[in-house]
Amino acid sequence: MDAVKALPTNPQNYPAPVWRLFNETPLVGDFPPGVPDVWVAEVRTPAARAVLRLALRCEGSKIADARFRAYGCPVCIAVGAWIAQWSVGRTLSELAALQAVDLQLALEIPEDRIHCALLGEDVLKALLARLKETSRHEHPTH
Amino acid sequence: MAIYFDNNSTTRLDPRVFEAMQPYLQGPYGNPSSLHRYGRAARDAVEAARAQVAVLAGAQAAEVIWTSGGTEADNFAVKGAAASAAKPTRMLYGATEHAAVLESVQSLRGQGWAVDAIVMRQDGLIDAEGFAAQLAQGPLRLVALMRANNETGVIQDLARVADAIHAQDAWLLVDAVQTAGKIPLDFVALNADLLSLSAHKLHGPRGIGALIKRAEVELTPLHHGGGQEQGLRGGTENVAAIVGFGVAAELAVQGRGTRAAQMLTLRRRFEAGLHALSGTRIFAEATPRLPNTVQFALPGYVGEALLMALDLKGIAVSSGSACHSGSGEPSHVLLGMGVARDVAFGAIRVSFSAENTEAEVDRVLAVLTVLHAEAMAV
Amino acid sequence: MNSPASVVLSPLPDDAGNAIIYLDYAATTPLDPRVLEAMLPYLQGADDPALRWANPASTHGPGLRAREGVERARAQVAALIGAEPREIIWTSGATESNNLAIKGAIEFNRAPGRPIHIITSRAEHKCVLDSCRYLETQGVAVTYLKPGADGRVMPQQVLDAITPDTALVSLMWVNNEIGAVQAVTELAPRLRERGIQFHVDAVQAAGKLAINLQDTPIDLLSVSAHKLYGPKGVGALFVRRWPRARLAPQMHGGGHEQGMRSGTLATHQIVGMGAAFALAAREWTIEMPRLTALRERLWDRLRGLPEVLRNGPQDPSACAPHILNISFAGVDGESLRAALPSLAVSSGSACSSATAEPSYVLRALGRGDALADASLRFSLGRGSDADTIDCAAGQVVDSVQRLRELSPLWTP
Repeated sequence: MDAVKALPTNPQNYPAPVWRLFNETPLVGDFPPGVPDVWVAEVRTPAARAVLRLALRCEGSKIADARFRAYGCPVCIAVGAWIAQWSVGRTLSELAALQAVDLQLALEIPEDRIHCALLGEDVLKALLARLKETSRHEHPTH
Repeated sequence: MAIYFDNNSTTRLDPRVFEAMQPYLQGPYGNPSSLHRYGRAARDAVEAARAQVAVLAGAQAAEVIWTSGGTEADNFAVKGAAASAAKPTRMLYGATEHAAVLESVQSLRGQGWAVDAIVMRQDGLIDAEGFAAQLAQGPLRLVALMRANNETGVIQDLARVADAIHAQDAWLLVDAVQTAGKIPLDFVALNADLLSLSAHKLHGPRGIGALIKRAEVELTPLHHGGGQEQGLRGGTENVAAIVGFGVAAELAVQGRGTRAAQMLTLRRRFEAGLHALSGTRIFAEATPRLPNTVQFALPGYVGEALLMALDLKGIAVSSGSACHSGSGEPSHVLLGMGVARDVAFGAIRVSFSAENTEAEVDRVLAVLTVLHAEAMAV
Repeated sequence: MNSPASVVLSPLPDDAGNAIIYLDYAATTPLDPRVLEAMLPYLQGADDPALRWANPASTHGPGLRAREGVERARAQVAALIGAEPREIIWTSGATESNNLAIKGAIEFNRAPGRPIHIITSRAEHKCVLDSCRYLETQGVAVTYLKPGADGRVMPQQVLDAITPDTALVSLMWVNNEIGAVQAVTELAPRLRERGIQFHVDAVQAAGKLAINLQDTPIDLLSVSAHKLYGPKGVGALFVRRWPRARLAPQMHGGGHEQGMRSGTLATHQIVGMGAAFALAAREWTIEMPRLTALRERLWDRLRGLPEVLRNGPQDPSACAPHILNISFAGVDGESLRAALPSLAVSSGSACSSATAEPSYVLRALGRGDALADASLRFSLGRGSDADTIDCAAGQVVDSVQRLRELSPLWTP
């Protein structure tokens, strides 16, 4: 087992998985332009207090790599990071099956932050919709 | 060597209370309202103390509202109940209540409230028949009756009155400031709606008290702003004092049996000594009283003069309540019991703590014996 | 320049063992060890033969000795603000002082059937606003002035709002969120001319600015101990004796404090407040330039970041020495605070953070909700020095940069 690096103190008592991802955030950023088979979607809450962007690079029917960006509270950022990390190696049908409640469970999201989990579900849906659209037109755009 | 027999006025801080307070005086100095780490430490300490005081009062933690002392608790209860009423009606208060209750209630007259004193008997207890008649006289908002009197020590029999008060759709405020730590206190058994407490009467720090309030009782805040205490009492929490109050409360609960027994032993010894001094009168002697309180008058002395004579010998006692010292008026408590003015002027009060000793009692009796003899010789 | 060596702060370490940097002195201050030393004989009398912990209202020896402590403290508080000792009324804190001033003045001056009016500002502390709102339910008219773009209410705004029924104006001397100094000394004589009572909440001003009530005709002034390295649970209200400011007491029971505020005095707290104010009187002329310099050092370190806004008057000298309020564009406020677990600062006034309302003052300055939420109030004090400032600035810069890089909205 890897040695656990000490995280900073958590005075606002975020759930442990959220706190970890907020402080050690993987896969932040975008794919450089020109990388093939990359699909991107961005969703935001109505008042734009939280914005989530997800970029997935596919190889065949699986996700080969992922990047994300997030603006919003630590839970939103953790949701973005979790989805990006989880997506790698998964199939499109697994992505389609992921729901807010799964995010809530994985990240121990409390009831008053459920909108962050919904945002995560939304960004995946948006991304898969875009995938479907482009495969219909046979020309990926991003 | 100083002898301190004025414990109803204030008590010495218990060293264990001080020890508990120290980290909060010098250490985590957060404002409990702040969200950062310091603030959280302070907030946890405040809630732990709340539970401790709740145990002392026989109440729920959620019923405990911190105040700056007993006076504020009484003011808040009386004025808060008045301000939250749809329209002014009536309040009753015991004739021997503490000034904090008396003056608060009387201040409401100017706002259209009818306020009447409940007649007390000569033994310091409520005149039950008169009270029943007073209750029935019209719409009533609040009745204020202290559990134990700070001057005479009389313990009020509240067992029967609460039901009658509630039957009139009114609330019962019990000023328990002198009670806590001396006799058992049970907010639920008393059937009270409001109860006031003060830390410095039970070896806790000055500057902190509590109002115990049943959830259903609606009070308009006295101190607006800040949102503390569920919006009922604004103001940065005095964390060290609250922690001190909590520990003092816990110690009082733990030590109640032994403390009370010790105080009673001292009181009985003192009273036996007083009996040997002819013409001395112990007020409300036959009435159930706090184990630590003796209010009495020595023939030939005005209370203030006796107080000074004892003070010269290093003995601290009180003549009437500390809040009225030097005001030139005799005790309204004694007058309310029908004691003649000139007799009331002679009253002084001795109030023990469990820290006092029999040797101290004997020393004070010796001094009083000499003073008594001097007066008799004139 | 180093902080006064006399104040030894023991910073609490976080879980990773890093010391927490405290920059929240405007919320509360640690008890100065010199103040605690002065308090001890009046708190716990372990071996004190003088029994100075006795009730100062008692007329026996111990009571009189306790009383001496109270009266000495009264003179110390009076001295810092240029008042007479008899003009100082002890309260349980600034919240009570403000409640007493406003409700007491209105209640005393009210006549049945006659309208009465208060002028205050929307930027006041909650205890002032809530007291005024409560009085509105009792039929009192209140005007809530809006601060201008620099966060201050200008004297002309107050004068324009005066009506024949105006009995009281209540304004804070220093705004606790952004540190803006209001033109209180300019306004006071003009209200005095018109016979209108002037109450000033000087909680953030005492010990930070020159206050001389002999020269400035303010009628009522609130101060607090725990903002000046004194204990919690005690404050004071200055009540002018000539011309006499009249109040209806709000706390009854025994007639203490010349009948204006009854209740057993907590001697040790009062002695502590006196000692704290005496220390401030001795040290403030050196301490204030020191804090101003450190505040500007902090601003210099932070302004290197793009799109940071300083909230407050353009002129730093119109700002209290110890407060710096900055909005950081492009970051979420909650995440910013979460990214700074080792830094104790405030967003908005500490007393209202429980409700998580966006700051009124910042909105008045034109900051939208998101930007107002992404604001930090740094407030400096005795334990602040160049090292703590640089370390804090470094943490803030790193966190802001990290969050901006994370954000899909941020274009560098």
